[in-house]
Amino acid sequence: MTTQGGVQYSKIAEIKGPLVIVDGVDNAAFDELVEIETTEGEKRLGKVLEVGNGKAVVQVFEGTTGLSVSGTNAKFVGKVMEMPVSEQVLGRVFDGLGRAKDGLPEPVATSFLDINGAPMNPEQREYPKDFIQTGVSVIDGMLTLVRGQKLPIFSGSGMSHNILAAQIARQAAIVGTKDEFAVVFAAIGVQYSEAEYFKRSLEESGALKRSVLFLNLADDPAIERIITPRVALTVAEYLAYDLGMHVLVILTDMTNYAEALREISAAREEVPGRKGYPGYLYTDLSTIYERAGRLKGRKGSVTQMPILTMPSDDITHPIPDLTGYITEGQLVLGRDLFRQGVYPPINILMSLSRIMKDGIGEGSTRADHQEISNQNYDAYSRAQEVRALAGIVGKAGLTPIDLNYMNFGDEFEKKFLSQAVDEDRTIEETLGLQWSAISKLPKNELTKVKDKYVEQYYKE
Amino acid sequence: MVAQGKIVWISGPAVRADGMADAKMYETVSVGEAKLIGEVIRLTGDVAFIQVYESTSGLKPGEPVVGTGNPLSVFLGPGIIGQIYDGIQRPLKDLAAKSGSFIGRGITTTPVDMTKEYHFSPTVKVGDEVEAGNIIGIVPESSLIEHKILVPPDHKGGKITKIISEGDYNLDTEIATVEKDGQSSPLMMWHKWPVRQPRPYLKRYDPTVPLLTGQRVIDTFFPLAKGGTGSIPGAFGTGKTVTLHQIAKWADSQVVVYIGCGERGNEMTEVLVEFPELKDPRTGKPLMDRTVLVANTSNMPVAAREASIYTGVTIAEYYRDMGYDVVLVADSTSRWAEALREMSGRLEEMPAEEGYPSYLASRLAEFYERAGRVQAKGSPERDGSVSLVGAVSPSGGDFTEPVTTHTMRFIKTFWALDAKLAYSRHYPSINWMNSYSGYLADISKWWSENISKDWLDIRSQTYGILQREDTLKEIVQLLGPEALPDEEKLILEVARMIKIGILQQNSFDDVDTYCSPEKQFKLMKLQVDFYNQGQQALKDGASLADIRSMDVISLLLKARMDVKDDEMNKLDKLSTDMIEQFKSITGVKVQN
Amino acid sequence: MSSNSALESTIDQVLERNSSEFSKSLKNSLADAQNILSDSLSMLEEEYEKIISDGKKEADKIEKQIVGSADLEARNKSLLIVQESTDKVLEKAKAKIVNMERNSEYSSLITKLLTEATSALNTSDVIVYTNSKDKDVVQSAVSNISGAELSNDLIDCMGGVKVTSKDGSMSFDNTIDARIELLKPLIRKDIAAQFNLGN
Repeated sequence: MTTQGGVQYSKIAEIKGPLVIVDGVDNAAFDELVEIETTEGEKRLGKVLEVGNGKAVVQVFEGTTGLSVSGTNAKFVGKVMEMPVSEQVLGRVFDGLGRAKDGLPEPVATSFLDINGAPMNPEQREYPKDFIQTGVSVIDGMLTLVRGQKLPIFSGSGMSHNILAAQIARQAAIVGTKDEFAVVFAAIGVQYSEAEYFKRSLEESGALKRSVLFLNLADDPAIERIITPRVALTVAEYLAYDLGMHVLVILTDMTNYAEALREISAAREEVPGRKGYPGYLYTDLSTIYERAGRLKGRKGSVTQMPILTMPSDDITHPIPDLTGYITEGQLVLGRDLFRQGVYPPINILMSLSRIMKDGIGEGSTRADHQEISNQNYDAYSRAQEVRALAGIVGKAGLTPIDLNYMNFGDEFEKKFLSQAVDEDRTIEETLGLQWSAISKLPKNELTKVKDKYVEQYYKE
Repeated sequence: MVAQGKIVWISGPAVRADGMADAKMYETVSVGEAKLIGEVIRLTGDVAFIQVYESTSGLKPGEPVVGTGNPLSVFLGPGIIGQIYDGIQRPLKDLAAKSGSFIGRGITTTPVDMTKEYHFSPTVKVGDEVEAGNIIGIVPESSLIEHKILVPPDHKGGKITKIISEGDYNLDTEIATVEKDGQSSPLMMWHKWPVRQPRPYLKRYDPTVPLLTGQRVIDTFFPLAKGGTGSIPGAFGTGKTVTLHQIAKWADSQVVVYIGCGERGNEMTEVLVEFPELKDPRTGKPLMDRTVLVANTSNMPVAAREASIYTGVTIAEYYRDMGYDVVLVADSTSRWAEALREMSGRLEEMPAEEGYPSYLASRLAEFYERAGRVQAKGSPERDGSVSLVGAVSPSGGDFTEPVTTHTMRFIKTFWALDAKLAYSRHYPSINWMNSYSGYLADISKWWSENISKDWLDIRSQTYGILQREDTLKEIVQLLGPEALPDEEKLILEVARMIKIGILQQNSFDDVDTYCSPEKQFKLMKLQVDFYNQGQQALKDGASLADIRSMDVISLLLKARMDVKDDEMNKLDKLSTDMIEQFKSITGVKVQN
Repeated sequence: MSSNSALESTIDQVLERNSSEFSKSLKNSLADAQNILSDSLSMLEEEYEKIISDGKKEADKIEKQIVGSADLEARNKSLLIVQESTDKVLEKAKAKIVNMERNSEYSSLITKLLTEATSALNTSDVIVYTNSKDKDVVQSAVSNISGAELSNDLIDCMGGVKVTSKDGSMSFDNTIDARIELLKPLIRKDIAAQFNLGN
């Protein structure tokens, strides 16, 4: 934290889109924080994107609306953007740039941290392997979330992703430890009502005092969204690695983030990659998602659940596509299930939790967990094929085994997948429901489960 | 004279500095007060364009840039095996010791511990003539690798005038002196080599020996040869990384270089946690004792990601020159291409397709050209190979995008991952209709000499069944399976059995994770026999239902997990049981 | 010694002199906070009967909720106190600075502030602004810098200088007001630490 002021420049060469180009600058650093002062004395924040040859390109977080070439001043603050952190951030609500938004004074800081963080040394990472019970059957049973994992929700507009995320935030618990748990919620360009739903949901469950909220709402400046996930993760890292808490970070909606990035890229006239998104979208997203994890010799963990709405439900769109390449799996919400009124409408076949295998089994959940989950996957995939076939040849054209699979599919969706918004199931309940569903099939169809488990759990 | 200039412009990893008339292309430079490491990638007048391998946050115009006089090079000597490096060969362990859990900036380290002593045994004596590439001594490096100390490939050679006697020495020790034309030069246990320059060799062979990976769909259907090139493209979630890890774990090479290029941090951690625990199936020694990791994860600086590929392949070539078979796995070349694109964009070069620079294809070609099975330079005579396996992460799973299409021009084995297979949990999700191998003919000789002379024939029959099924599937989708005659239904049935019993392989199953060549062949032969006997049984009057109800089927499907590599007699037993069961179903029919 | 330490020592003195006063007001407020917490606990007891019948899960939920919001309320209250204290400290410090004797110590502070500004601007071709009280001290400091001029226009500040390049394109605000603004987070941290509220 520097306490020396910065030089203020008043020669503005150009204002375009979210960018201000300042002339005659000979003392500015790349990435430096900039304070823009309008003719009316209003202050806005920005940062240096490019500097040299007497010019600095400054990205203004709060937008350039109302700025003029004459009368605008740019003060180079002499440091990169920092977030003040301390335990006191818990229970607080901040805006998208990390400033108090709940009418209370700024929290007293014990440190000021660079919001960009630094890349974790892969050699210093601890491999994630501790089960987080979310109380949501389909997740705990088949798409298990693990401490330190980054597991996004791929959704479409209007679907129930935020309700699901809120349920996870309320219910998430680490079975068998007394370690402290915290939730960091970053709203990135979402509607007021959605952010409010989330806040109320935390409040009602008494989880607010172990939560931190960052709100950039739909009508807040778009460029601010570049910063929102970063301040949120800076706080999360502090809570996790300095205070030893297990932090669940929910970032919603990353699509709005990527759009803000595209806006800046367009203003800089960069060569675009796919669909107009900058070529460095992958790298940029990774500097957010890779901030999940655990570290050797430190108690806490940062688990991320980014949410994004896929434009036209298209999973090959660059935002979900590049996200999927970075995250450790994905929970994909299905439009069909959603229309049928299934909650949570998770399409398990397209979903995956990459590091599930290390977080489950004997000692953490139950010895048969992996196998029964594989068997359910297999059976549900077969059930979907049979349903498609039945659509063509009719039920009459199906074999008895095929019909068993159809029954299984129905049972699976109605009893196991479907769940009430406030229903918190234990892992034992979840595994029991998996066995109930699979027991719609004759025993000899269960090729992925060891015979001893069939004997123990199969429901005649 | 080294260049000494000043920064005039900064944008992300790209920096321009003037006063750099003395700088050379691809020279490494120290950038700014923080002494960040960078590399000159373009020179215009006295202005150098520099890609910086560390975060440039806080860097200011006016700060100094100082040349080193050397191109970006790697250190080659004992101590590399078992290490985890970043993209420019800094050991991540040392970085952690100096900057903690997060990677700091401006940190200098040595690639290996120079003070550690190695047991050196000379293989030459005073008076011997040596030339570039000669082995002058050996050093045990790990339980699996005997490190050959080489005369550097660019050394002019000469007469040994001094060689140290057998004993323990650290890496600062001069081990020999060579004299030529009255000039003498010292030799160490190590040398440096510029990463962008392929190491020379004597001659190149055709790849005729398969690289066995223990993965059935690879070894049996789409094999790679030692010294060959393969590519594995796939959308996210198709199990690319698991497949690559399987290759790195079980390939029958002596050295594995694994490059995590712009990928997940936790994946490198997984390798670091797993490999020391896993045993090489041929030697029983820990896999880490033959592995080198280069990790430049997606959130680490993008320029170092570009360098990581070259760092890795140069290390691979070095072990090749000792006479070892080396496999290099690069995950993912797409992220490397994106790093090229980002730098190219900052250089304001004219973009080609999707913003990639026009030299993308030639850079890919240069990289894959560094694969090969060769006779190394110098004596004693020895052969080694570098096999290259590059992952491709096509955006949106679209194989027509530039990185995939260009890569396909330079590789011979193509493992196409298929999201549909992955969604139905068919792993590895290598699509058997879209994949190919250009080495099949070359390596079939090896299989017929070492496993069975029928190998090529049985493989063709198996693949034939899968091809027939692919055509029949379309009819089924329109009319339902009941529309087919029994002979064709049997094809569907056997194809399903081949998919479950052979093509699918569970990397997390202790037995199934690695499958010996012999077992691969026997499993395949069983399926072909089942098919042929089944067709005969249908002709002899058995019904399809009879065939479907045979006990042997579930045993055939589970054999990949139930039968260990040293229990081949169980498969022979299965074969005789199968004949018996077919006899009984046709026999019953005849008697009735 | 930088200009910061001069400022900091002033603030330290103020802090010391007033700490007993603050700690008294803090103790009162902490007691308030405690009351809120115990009030809510008794409320919890009242509700308990009803809660038990609603099942254990629900009981846990409500207990968490009530204790959670009480905790928060208490914490937020103390936060307001720290804020209040900071404001008071700053007010006193400011008052002290405004009335500070313009002695040799002060003039060396001004010189430091002035050189900092010109070196940041990378030129001494500057116009210097200050308030009426500091005019003489600043004038003598400015006369030592060739190219620098003191403007006749006065600015409203507690002390220190504001320096602008002659073409008007750059300026550097090194008034004491600006410096205190930058120090504020650190001052708050100190105050909170003194009263054991930081963490």
